[in-house]
Amino acid sequence: MGTKSENIYKPFKVTLEKVIEESPLIKTFVFVPEREFSFKTGEFIELTLDGIGEAPFTPSSSPLVTDRFDVTIMKAGYVTEKMHKLEPGAVLGVRGPYGRGYPIEKFVDKEILILSGGCGLAPIRSLLYMLIDMKDKLRKVTLCYGSKTPEDCIYKPLFSELNKIEKFKTLRTVDLTDQYWEEHVGVATVLLDHVDVDLSKAVAVVCGPPVMMKYGTLKLLEMGFPENMIYLSMEKNMSCGLGKCGRCMLGGYFVCRDGPVFTYDEVKDQPHIW
Amino acid sequence: MTSYYQLEKTAWDKALTSLLGSFRVFAPILRGKTLDYELIKEEHIPHIVYNTPKPVVPLKTFFLPVKENVVVEPEDAKPVIILGVPACDLSALDLLDKFFMAEEYHDHYYEKRRKETVLIGCDCHSTNKHCHCTSYGLNPYPENNQDISISMLNGHAIISAFSPRGEALLARITVMDPAAKTFDELPGSLSDIRSKVKRELEKANRLLPNYQETTDAVINSDRAIWEKYAKACVSCGACATICPTCTCFLLIDRPGFEKVRQLDACQYPGFERTAGGEDPLKKLEYRFKNRYMCKYLYRPEKFDAIACTGCGRCIEACIAKINKNELLVELTK
Repeated sequence: MGTKSENIYKPFKVTLEKVIEESPLIKTFVFVPEREFSFKTGEFIELTLDGIGEAPFTPSSSPLVTDRFDVTIMKAGYVTEKMHKLEPGAVLGVRGPYGRGYPIEKFVDKEILILSGGCGLAPIRSLLYMLIDMKDKLRKVTLCYGSKTPEDCIYKPLFSELNKIEKFKTLRTVDLTDQYWEEHVGVATVLLDHVDVDLSKAVAVVCGPPVMMKYGTLKLLEMGFPENMIYLSMEKNMSCGLGKCGRCMLGGYFVCRDGPVFTYDEVKDQPHIW
Repeated sequence: MTSYYQLEKTAWDKALTSLLGSFRVFAPILRGKTLDYELIKEEHIPHIVYNTPKPVVPLKTFFLPVKENVVVEPEDAKPVIILGVPACDLSALDLLDKFFMAEEYHDHYYEKRRKETVLIGCDCHSTNKHCHCTSYGLNPYPENNQDISISMLNGHAIISAFSPRGEALLARITVMDPAAKTFDELPGSLSDIRSKVKRELEKANRLLPNYQETTDAVINSDRAIWEKYAKACVSCGACATICPTCTCFLLIDRPGFEKVRQLDACQYPGFERTAGGEDPLKKLEYRFKNRYMCKYLYRPEKFDAIACTGCGRCIEACIAKINKNELLVELTK
C-alpha cells in the first residue's frame, strides 16, 4: 500500500463470510478480501461501513492466513453498533494495513509475558498465532488475560488450545465471578503476581483498555521490566491511517504511522498517554 | 542568476488580462477593511492590491478546500494563477508539501491543485500589526515556492521567474521588456524597501523569542501560563482554521465508499475522542497547549520545517483576543 499511484483514501472491498459471537458485546467477523491482502501482526486496518463510517481495527487472525482475515469488534460506538448488526454477505471497505506492528524478530530467544484485557485480546490473538509459528525460537509465552465476567471472556477455546502447546501457558481472571469460575478473580494485573519471569530474557506485551494499560505498565516496571522491553498498543482515534488527519496524535507521534505498538520508553514523556 | 524584468503597470495589467481566458486568476482585492483573494475579472485588474500584507485567508485554502470528496476523481478545471501571495504563506508550503506530497501516502488531490497552480509571490512593502515573519528566520519578500515574484514600484511592475512553470507563463506575456536585469541592476528603491520593512518587523517584534527559543520555552513551560490563557479560549478553532500550516481533518463517509475530507481543528472538543469515550485532549487547557506544542515542537521535529510562519492571523482571528505573541513573550520573560 501507499504507492504513489494509489488513491490513499479509497477502500477496497471485502465480503463478510461469517460472524462469531464471542461475548455479549464482542463479535468476530471473518472477511474475504476481493484482492490480495496481507498484514503483519499488530498492524491495523480502517474498516468502512458504506456510507456510515470508518473505524480502525487490528486483525485478530494469523497473518499467515492470506485468503481471509478476522476482525474482532466490541460494540462501543456508532459505527461498531451498526457493524454488530451485519450478516454474512455484507460488503465492507478496507484501507491498509497501516502502522507499526509487533517487532516479532526482537522476540527471538525471549520469554514473552502478555498482559491483555477485554477486547484487547484481539490483536494479541494474531500475535499468538505468530508466536506459535516461531515457538522453537522462543523460551516461553505466558498470556495473562482479564475480563469483566466469565461471559465476557473472548476466544474461549483459545486458552485450552494454548495450554496444550509446549512453552505456552495461560492465566485468566475476572472482575466479577460466577458459580462456575475456577480461575483467578480480580483485575488483570493481579495475574502478574502469579508469573515467573527471568527479567534478563523477558519482554512484556500489553494490550487492553486504557486503565489496564496504565496500571499493567506500572506493575511491570515495579517488577523490574526495562522500559524498552514493554510493548504497548497505544490505540487512539486513528482516522485516516496515513499520518495526516491528526486525530491520533500522541504528543509528537502519529499513532497510525509511528505506532500503534510502542515501547514504554518511546511514549513515557509524551503528554496524556493514558 | 535570477533575471528581473521591469514594465509599466498598464502593460502588466494588459498582460494579466490576456491570461484570463486560459487561467482562473485569484488576487487580493480590498472590500471595506478586508483584503482577500477574489476570482479576477477584467474590471478587477486595476484594483488588485499589491505589496500589502495580507489576504485574510491563508494560501492553504486553495490546496485544501474546507470540504472535498477524496475518492471521486476531481474534475478538470482551468489552471489557476494566484497573484499576490505573501512570503509567509509561500513558506508554509515547505511543510504542506512535505506532508501531503511525501513519497509514501501521497495525496493526489493536494498534488493536483499544487501542480495546476502558478504562484505569484509579492513583496510586503508595509507591515500589519501582528506580522512577525522575521522572528522566525523569514523575510517579508518571496524566497521559497513562488513561480514568479512581483513588486509594484513607482508605477512599474518588477517581475521575475523562479521556476520552469513561472518562466513558461512569463514567456506567454509578449509585452515583457526584453532588457532583463539582475537584482543589483534594479533601481535601488526595491532593495531599500525590503530592508526598511525588515527593520520595521524586527523592531516591532524585538521582544518576541525566535523559533528555537520559543520551542525551548514551550517545552519547559509551567502549567500556569496555559491555564491562564486557556481560560479565555472558547474552542472556536478560528486559530487553526486561519493558520497557513494547520491541516488536521475529519474523514466523512458517503455512500459508494466515498470519503469527504473536511478540515478540522484540534481545538474542538472531541477532536481525539474514541468510541470507548477516552479523550486525551478533553480539557480545553490541554487542547490549547497542544496547538503550541504542535507548532513549535511536533511538526518542526518531524518534518524539518517551521509550522508557524509569523503571519499573525491567529491573533487577528481570535474572538477571545488571545495574543499568541504576548503569551510567548510572557513565557520567555
